[in-house]
Amino acid sequence: MIHFYHVTKRFDAYSTALHDVTFHIEKGEFVFLTGASGAGKSTLLKLILRQMQPTEGQVVVNGRNLKAMKRSQLPFFRREIGMVFQDFKLIERMTVFENLSFILTVLGVPPREHKKRAYGALRAVSLHHKLNSYPLQLSGGEQQRIAIARALINDPLVIVADEPTGNLDPDLTQEIVQIFAEANLRGSTVLIATHDRELIEHSGRRVITLDHGRITDEKVAVPQRAPRVESIFGIGG
Amino acid sequence: MPLHDESLPKNTLSYFFREAMRRMWVSKRTSFVAIAMIAISLFIVGAFLLVAENLGRAVAHAGGTSRVNIYLNSDATPQQIAAVDAWLAAHHDFAGRKFVSKEVALARFREYFANLSGVVGQLDENPFPASFECEVTPGLAQSAPFAKQAAELRAIAGVEEVQFDWEWVEKLKKLINLVNLAGLVAGGLLAIAAAFTIANVIRLTMLLYREEIDIMRLVGATERMIRGPFLIEGILQGLLGAAVAIALLVAAFLAGRHFLAPRNSLLWGFLFNGFLPWQKLVALLAGGMLAGYLGSWMSVRESGEET
Repeated sequence: MIHFYHVTKRFDAYSTALHDVTFHIEKGEFVFLTGASGAGKSTLLKLILRQMQPTEGQVVVNGRNLKAMKRSQLPFFRREIGMVFQDFKLIERMTVFENLSFILTVLGVPPREHKKRAYGALRAVSLHHKLNSYPLQLSGGEQQRIAIARALINDPLVIVADEPTGNLDPDLTQEIVQIFAEANLRGSTVLIATHDRELIEHSGRRVITLDHGRITDEKVAVPQRAPRVESIFGIGG
Repeated sequence: MPLHDESLPKNTLSYFFREAMRRMWVSKRTSFVAIAMIAISLFIVGAFLLVAENLGRAVAHAGGTSRVNIYLNSDATPQQIAAVDAWLAAHHDFAGRKFVSKEVALARFREYFANLSGVVGQLDENPFPASFECEVTPGLAQSAPFAKQAAELRAIAGVEEVQFDWEWVEKLKKLINLVNLAGLVAGGLLAIAAAFTIANVIRLTMLLYREEIDIMRLVGATERMIRGPFLIEGILQGLLGAAVAIALLVAAFLAGRHFLAPRNSLLWGFLFNGFLPWQKLVALLAGGMLAGYLGSWMSVRESGEET
């Protein structure tokens, strides 16, 4: 589903974000991407969404070589991907409902279905009572969950999330990861970039570790006793 | 999912209009400037069109009949007048002759130029000459035999001047062309300036919404979807500007007809005879929309796209 072949991304002669990165994520997988700040996680996610092009190498997502993709095809490709941005990227002048409704308009969903679909997506993140609020009236964690609801509203083929639990307390983290796990069970391929080492280490999922733009480790996390994560992924006792 | 489906979602047009109107409301002042520019431009074009239209009506009215005025000397004797009458009666090309006495000529002047009648009243004697009015078949008027007859008529004792209506009709036609050309040039230049104003207004709006546009692109909105509201905004500004221009033209026309026409019925009666036909009003509206569309198109064309 997501394939990186010897991908290098250089911004200039002194700044290389990714060095010869190769990995493959198959359809239906749930993968964590981790690494310190500046390791290249966000750059990697931007390459998946084709916000930027690799300097060298190839990125193939859902069978499409992004380097060869025409500009006119890009919007339709992006509709297949549910992206949760680190800075949420909610439209501030629109209410929560309008933010979701806009996506449904882009996707061609008839307006009469917008309310029902938006309500359903917000209910999944326990924010259905915030339908008419504006993003700036919400806390960081609430904005994060709205961004997640927006990303999942169309059951995308691929879900890519950049630090989706960064602004959440442990209980909400559990709730949100549960939502991603359910989307994964419905067939979406999930890639989450996160710092949350506890979440990763006890997940039993594949973890790709980046360090200074290189993949330094790629393994399946061994489930250990960690009640918060166990309950999410159904591991342990 | 196909990646080539360029068709817009069904509810997109209503989204475009909603967004365009909302953005115009948010940027009221800049939108007002753009609408005012279009209104001024189209008002000027419309004013020229209105003048040309009414001159055209006067020409059309005169075009069906080619009238000849044979002005007599102020000291023409009754015998000379009778000789001219006899000559006209003998020449069938000069049909429907009618004698206009000095008194009738004066009365006509007072009727057409009511505000100048006082000036005439102060004169010792009636300055208007007596004349004969005839109708000439329009096709015949330009022929060589007729020119010979006209020369013969001019030579008759007591005839001061022979004046053909088609001469001023031709001059009027040239004037109409000039008015139309001046209107198109002035209006065209102003419309271009208005289009650039709209372009700048849309450019400002796009800068204001830059972050939002980036988000739209990231969630899969097509360029058409992103640019649509801006194009509609330009078109709406043009349409509103044209509507304001037409409203001003109607007001100016009604005011002119009410206040100016009674004071000088011949001149203003011509100019305020009728308003523009609906086809020209539609053309003005279409012109406004086109200027608005071109302005917004210039801006969205320049807007950065991703690689």
